[in-house]
Amino acid sequence: MDGDAERETAAVTTPTLPFRKILIANRGEIACRIERTLRSLRLGSVAIHHAVEVDARHVREADEAVEITGETPVAAHLDSAQIIEAALRAGADAIHPGYGFLSENAKFAKAVADAGLVFIGPDAETIELMGDKISARNFARSQSVSVAPSAAPTGDIDAFRAAAEAIGFPLLIKAAAGGGGKGMSVVRGANELAEAARVAASEALRSFGDGRIYAETYLERPRHIEVQVVGDGEGRAIHLFERECSVQRRFQKIIEEAPAPNLSAKLREDILTAAVRLAAKGRYRNVGTVEFILGADGRFFFLEMNTRLQVEHPVTEMITGLDLVRIQLEIAAGQGLPLEQEEAVAKGHAIECRICAEDPERDFMPETGAIRYLDAPTASFLRFENALDGGQKVTPDFDPMLAKLVVHGADRAEAIARAIASLHELALLGVKTNIDYLARVLAHPAFRAGDLHTAFVREHSAALAPPPLDAKTRDAALIAAALGLREFRDIAFGVPEPHATIGGWRN
Amino acid sequence: MSFKISLDGANHNVEIVARRPNLRLRVDDHEYEISAPGDVDDGRRTIEISGNPLHFARAHDGDRQIVRMGGRTLETRLVDPRSEADASGGGQDHVRAPMPGVVVHVHRVPGAVVARGEALLTIESMKLQMTLLAPRDGLLARLPGSVGDAFDKDDIVAELAPIADRD
Amino acid sequence: MRKIQSMISVSNAEFRANEAHNRALAKAFREKQEAARHIRPSRDLERLARAGKMRPRARIEKLLDPGTPFLELSSLAANMAYGGESPSASTIVGIGIVSGREVIVRADDPTIKGGAWYPLSAKKIVRALDIATENRLPVIHLCDSAGGFLQLQSEVFPDRYMAGRIFRDQSILSKMGVKQLALVFGHCTAGGAYIPALSDYNVIVRGSGAVFLGGPPLVRAATGEDVTVEDLGGADMHTSVSGVCDYPAASEDEAIHIGREIVAQWERPRKWECQREPVEAPAYDPQEIYGILPNDVKKQFDMREILARVVDGSRFHEYQPNYGQTLVCGFANIWGFKVGVLANNGVLFNDSSLKGAHFIELCNQNNTPLVFLQNITGYMVGREYERRGITKDGAKMIMAQSCSRVPKFTVMCNGSFGAGNYGMCGRAFDARLLFAWPNHQIGVMGGDQAANTLAEVKLNQMKRNGEAIDQTEIDRVWDETRRAYQEQLSAYYSTSELWDDGIIDPVDTRNALGIAISASLNAPLGESGYGVFRF
Repeated sequence: MDGDAERETAAVTTPTLPFRKILIANRGEIACRIERTLRSLRLGSVAIHHAVEVDARHVREADEAVEITGETPVAAHLDSAQIIEAALRAGADAIHPGYGFLSENAKFAKAVADAGLVFIGPDAETIELMGDKISARNFARSQSVSVAPSAAPTGDIDAFRAAAEAIGFPLLIKAAAGGGGKGMSVVRGANELAEAARVAASEALRSFGDGRIYAETYLERPRHIEVQVVGDGEGRAIHLFERECSVQRRFQKIIEEAPAPNLSAKLREDILTAAVRLAAKGRYRNVGTVEFILGADGRFFFLEMNTRLQVEHPVTEMITGLDLVRIQLEIAAGQGLPLEQEEAVAKGHAIECRICAEDPERDFMPETGAIRYLDAPTASFLRFENALDGGQKVTPDFDPMLAKLVVHGADRAEAIARAIASLHELALLGVKTNIDYLARVLAHPAFRAGDLHTAFVREHSAALAPPPLDAKTRDAALIAAALGLREFRDIAFGVPEPHATIGGWRN
Repeated sequence: MSFKISLDGANHNVEIVARRPNLRLRVDDHEYEISAPGDVDDGRRTIEISGNPLHFARAHDGDRQIVRMGGRTLETRLVDPRSEADASGGGQDHVRAPMPGVVVHVHRVPGAVVARGEALLTIESMKLQMTLLAPRDGLLARLPGSVGDAFDKDDIVAELAPIADRD
Repeated sequence: MRKIQSMISVSNAEFRANEAHNRALAKAFREKQEAARHIRPSRDLERLARAGKMRPRARIEKLLDPGTPFLELSSLAANMAYGGESPSASTIVGIGIVSGREVIVRADDPTIKGGAWYPLSAKKIVRALDIATENRLPVIHLCDSAGGFLQLQSEVFPDRYMAGRIFRDQSILSKMGVKQLALVFGHCTAGGAYIPALSDYNVIVRGSGAVFLGGPPLVRAATGEDVTVEDLGGADMHTSVSGVCDYPAASEDEAIHIGREIVAQWERPRKWECQREPVEAPAYDPQEIYGILPNDVKKQFDMREILARVVDGSRFHEYQPNYGQTLVCGFANIWGFKVGVLANNGVLFNDSSLKGAHFIELCNQNNTPLVFLQNITGYMVGREYERRGITKDGAKMIMAQSCSRVPKFTVMCNGSFGAGNYGMCGRAFDARLLFAWPNHQIGVMGGDQAANTLAEVKLNQMKRNGEAIDQTEIDRVWDETRRAYQEQLSAYYSTSELWDDGIIDPVDTRNALGIAISASLNAPLGESGYGVFRF
């Protein structure tokens, strides 16, 4: 086949990048997304998968695939040794870790480098520094980046409680070793502190293998603002603008946008500068995100730095026109920063909606099922990032996020309108999702006004409930459902003449 | 006979009133003329109600029909006339073993209130395992076997308390 | 085809008088029918409800496809028998659609003496199976009967066309490949047990259905064995041990649901293709029939006026319009089916008899079903007509009609007296379905004529015996005869005796014929050929 021949010749080192083949230590939509860039650069891709996902899209769309084993599918994806072994046997030059899983695991990054492979990301020391929330905060403070008052746990629970109470309430308990909302909770009073600390520590231990937690002040109605940074590892860094990720549930983002709305030029500048300073002084190499918490009073505090590609990176790509995965590869290849700060231009506005298999009406409980019908709209301004197949089973094995719908508009209003229209057009049937819920969020006046904060979902939960079903729509749905039933159609259309025309007559 | 379809937690009647010149349906208390019924397949579909086109997406999943229209996704289910007619299972009190074998698992114990279709015990015979279900809603009166006990074909392996006699 | 041009005025006094008269007849008929269908002693209805059973008409409605017609036959059977104790002869019969297929539905009525079969019940059931046989219509039995009505057993049990004929007919139907389904809702005892046993498929309701040749009391009396209904013949025993029954159902609803599913497995029939044309409603309002029919059976009216309110588009192609004008013959469509119509406009003469015979032959040649609209007082009598051979001309018409290969349908629109009934396809001549209007009268001769004849016989007797002419005696004979005939001539009497397949409201004629013709196409055409025509 022509395609294979093309790939054969291109498998020879391309002039720009010193890689022939890259193993993606991830799965799902991000694996498909990375494979897309690899294909465009004519680089070979190796996918890994557990037995349960042998038919997954990310496996099909890679050039090669290797099965990994583990007690659970997630455990397999966390098995560094097995993954490195797979990369070596496949003859890969580099490993791209995606997000989640081992992407912020310093030991893994080191092991990859020790094995003679290139880790597409920062070096292990940086990961370790920034990965530990406490050391990251200390570093930020040392670089004059404001940090929210906090308390670190000690073995002495009373001392921890005293330190926490010194911060004042409300405060936030977080896991030191990881993010994604795991091991996090808000504590509003001293009486709740001990139990909250115990629960958070055990959740952190389960999710990250590290039970350390810390506490920090909790700003009311805070906004989550993050900055996309790129560093060359030699002390130079640029930003690719900020993102707003305040709309969250269970401390997980569900809607992100770039740039952040309602941000004064000065505040924006301050935040961007702080982020770049951190990345540069930290000699950060490759692509990363600096997360801040912004209070209504304009005070902002460093939250953490994610030393990897983020889930919501597409919104930055859409306003800048850049391919962040490609930039990751180029920096990993030692080519330095891809452009000067002045060359980075933000055009228009982008919004991402995370489509999850869950029931917003039952407190976002994860749902399972199978995808019986999938039809996503297509448009030049729209990206539907997914690894979905028709008939695919949605199981509790992996994260409930099914896909990301990302749209671009000339301005925020257009982006919102396009996002709502696209969500309405998106048909994903067979498992409950938050698609309609997300459309209601986007249509809410507070969202339109940019009046966002991390308790948005809870504050507006009543208004975001689905409107009551009017009789006409309900009847239309019943009719549509009935006409999809064979047994109904048999009776409706299987009656011969003249009886069908005579109808329900009795003598 | 009418179709009962559940939606939004309630059962609704969908009746065929007439077929010519167009299919005419009564949904609960309202009548609608279906000028174009579309086809039976899953996917994006259009039907016409009283001349007005209705666009929607529809998929079936087991006995559910999922319909997406107007920014909502609605789950419907055909109410099985049998289960709806008589969850009391018409008086079948005994569960008999379909084959000789051994009890491998007991799911419910005597005194438990069981629902029609609920697993009562699992038996094994010739390397084949089978789970025996309650034939109707009721009170489990006897389940004489314990794990490891053997029985013959047609032996009573579970008994529900009889319902009060009908006149 | 040209439309019939109606010549009557719908506003003149005669029309209005007829209309009032016939509407009253129709209303009286519907009231009688409603009473026969629905009025039952409350004690019987309560007993049924307590047993968790549905009324038989409710069962039928659930069985039939929604939004489809049901043509009930002989709703007023036995209305003048047994002191009115057996409305509809304790059984319901009709043609309907189940799972898209034309079927005969026959249901016992347990609200009348537990559904026991009177002699006319057995006759009605045998008639239902005859219809099934002649038209190859599948049968669904809804069984719920206490068995034969013991007080009248000699009229229910022993003769050739009594209850035994039911089981013989079931066997023949099965041999013909015409399917039968029995839904056992109640007890099927003794002979009744054979109905589900001889049905190709059967379903039995647990707890209320039972099948046994002898019930517990009989068993106890015969052998001393003590056994419960369930144990002796209940659903579980028959569906898992004896194999007498196929499907157990937890409820009546479930039994009906299973029954519908069974019917849905049956192959769709290959029907004979009668000529069909696009359907057109009559151009004239069928309600006008009430004003056309006179209020006296002796008064004449033009059958074309009736036709214009029955056939599609009021279109009629008349055959030999100028010859034999007392018999109107021609082609028309009913619900799209092309039919040959013979309708009486007076007594039958030589020419009309010959025309009738010829037209019947044309219809057989053209594979056109025949529809007879009767209003006949007889063949013409008299010396001249006998010399011209009216008897053999009438015989030729009877020969052609009897030997027809196409299906025949008869509607008694008014009078049906004497040999005219025969030539025009009366009951003895195997019309697939035969209906009567409420004003219909039937007898060997009219009431007046019979009274006159018997009064004259009495007078002649007196003269012969040399007695004095006793006018009061003669008048008494006249009155008694008139009264007896009055009762026995009426449509209600004939329908009570099952001499027809039901009285219908004249405005229902088109629908009834449409459904009947459609049902008849399930059987192939007979063989061609006639006996000897006496020329």
